[in-house]
Amino acid sequence: MESTTFARGPMIAITVLRVLVGWHFLYEGLTKLTAPSFSAAGYLKQAKGPLAGAFHSLAASPDMLANANMITMWGLAIVGACLILGLFTRLASLAGIAFVLMFYLAAPPWIGLSYAIPSEGSYLIINKNLVEAGALAVIFFTGSGRFAGLDRIISGVFRRRPRLAAAA
Amino acid sequence: MADENDKGKLKTPVAGGPPRLDRRDLLKGLSTVPALGLFGYAWSRQQAHRAGVEAAAAAPAAAAGVQEINIALLGAGAQGQVLMEAMLRIPGLRFRAVCDIWTDYNQKRVVNTLKRFKHEPNGYEDYREMLDKEKQLDAVIIATPDFWHAEHTVACLKAGKHVYCEKEMSNTLEGARSMVMAQRETGKLLQIGHQRRSNPRYLHAYHKLLGEAKLLGRIVTVNGQWNRGVTQDLGAPDRYVIPADRLKRYGFKDMAQFRNWRWYKGKGGGPIVDLGSHQIDIYTWFLGANPSGVMATGGRLYYPAETHEWYDTVMVVFDYQTAAGPAQAYYQTQTTNGSNGYFETFMGDQGTLLISESELNYPGQLYRDPNAPAWDEWINKGYISAPKEVEVKEKVEGAVADVRESAPPDQHTVPVSLRDPYHQPHLQNFFNAVRGKGTLNCPAEIGYESAVSVLKVNEAIEAKARLAFTPDDFKI
Repeated sequence: MESTTFARGPMIAITVLRVLVGWHFLYEGLTKLTAPSFSAAGYLKQAKGPLAGAFHSLAASPDMLANANMITMWGLAIVGACLILGLFTRLASLAGIAFVLMFYLAAPPWIGLSYAIPSEGSYLIINKNLVEAGALAVIFFTGSGRFAGLDRIISGVFRRRPRLAAAA
Repeated sequence: MADENDKGKLKTPVAGGPPRLDRRDLLKGLSTVPALGLFGYAWSRQQAHRAGVEAAAAAPAAAAGVQEINIALLGAGAQGQVLMEAMLRIPGLRFRAVCDIWTDYNQKRVVNTLKRFKHEPNGYEDYREMLDKEKQLDAVIIATPDFWHAEHTVACLKAGKHVYCEKEMSNTLEGARSMVMAQRETGKLLQIGHQRRSNPRYLHAYHKLLGEAKLLGRIVTVNGQWNRGVTQDLGAPDRYVIPADRLKRYGFKDMAQFRNWRWYKGKGGGPIVDLGSHQIDIYTWFLGANPSGVMATGGRLYYPAETHEWYDTVMVVFDYQTAAGPAQAYYQTQTTNGSNGYFETFMGDQGTLLISESELNYPGQLYRDPNAPAWDEWINKGYISAPKEVEVKEKVEGAVADVRESAPPDQHTVPVSLRDPYHQPHLQNFFNAVRGKGTLNCPAEIGYESAVSVLKVNEAIEAKARLAFTPDDFKI
């Protein structure tokens, strides 16, 4: 099993990282779910960069927009909860990467692009979305859920019994 | 293998099957669950904190320690919603009722919005039913079409309510007069919605710059405009169309007229009344005199006659006999080109004030005539900003300035800003007066004087002649 190839210290650090990222995702999702009228429309409308056209048309279609809003709100919350619990960690990491890369591409801090909505920090090409995507990649490849998380219990329950012949 | 078994990574194959999970697996597997619990705790604490903040905001009377005023909004259309948004920022108000004949759309929308802010207003179609049932109302905010203002205002005043009524006070002078009479009979407050009268920038200009410092000297000419680009007629979603009999009952021939009443004779007064009355009111205020005569031309130059009965373009000149001497004022409104927006320019023999409700476009420029006494004293007192020399325009090739050109004046600005919605100070002034603190900035008589000046413009256009005012025209 790949998780056995890492020493205990790094694995604990990565697990802490997983909980931190999960906490952020869960809170982002829940605040959107509990806000009276969350909509990604404003964010999508000011999208720039290579996917700007796709985001703009998403914002322009009410049905598609409603779907995008639901997927964003529930997706973030579920990914966040899974990361905290270490449940389906690898799937959650991939989904999380997909989300933050989409956020990144909707408003990439590239040279020459400026935005009406001010961002909270100062970024050149790299922003916190990209850093979070990198963190999720680490979590994905180390399978942190199998070290400390519900994945460990699940993999235990569903683990095939080693055959006596193979063990011998 | 032995090492791995010790670490619990692989189970020892024993007879009857290996244990799939040992205690260590369970502990490690559940080790991050407490983080979710911690999140849940933090979340609930934060929600409780937020609920506390919102509750405090929704109970402004208690928070601000002032008497709560029970109010109703009569007319929940575009302007009613502008006023509602401004009122939601004023502490100590409690919305009890919303009345609008478009029950399924505007009324519902406003009621729902108010509910989000913890108000519990009842919705009404008929204002008489509202006045019958909502006995605890202290004040009614009226933002119905102009031709309803008189009936609504008089009924509310007679029911013992204070009234804030949008301008134009009425579409007829008889209507406006009946409102003044009802106010006098009942002794209730009646504020008319010429909201610039409470705008801190206009108040500063009036009291400090014109009144105390007399920066402009004697004002001889005034110029102003409201230019607005072409606008489409307002529509309505098919499923929300008001039934024909209800429209008839309330004086509209169809949904299109209901939505675009401002363009119809007998309902509104056209752009000169909708837009011009605000600014012509300022002419009168700043000059300290009602007009003595009016000449005007106007026409329906652009829009189709069947949907636009009023003039889309109006140009008008007023004469004034001010305390300092005669003055003339030009005003234009047109609705086919929005260039330069809206502003009022007061030109005296010592300086110029260019002011607009839109501070974004016009910060309130003041120009000192080169021959006028220095303004240093007023700069030091903070009445006006330090001067910025007007840039000499880049030389246009071939263009020459000759000796008749005036030297460019210094430019100052009005150093006062309004960071609230335009209507908030005027509403605040009304509610202060309701609480017995201060007097109205635009009481019924002022609104009436303004209506006399403005409604006469449409008459002058029809008469194709200069019409004179007598001082008695402005008295009731």
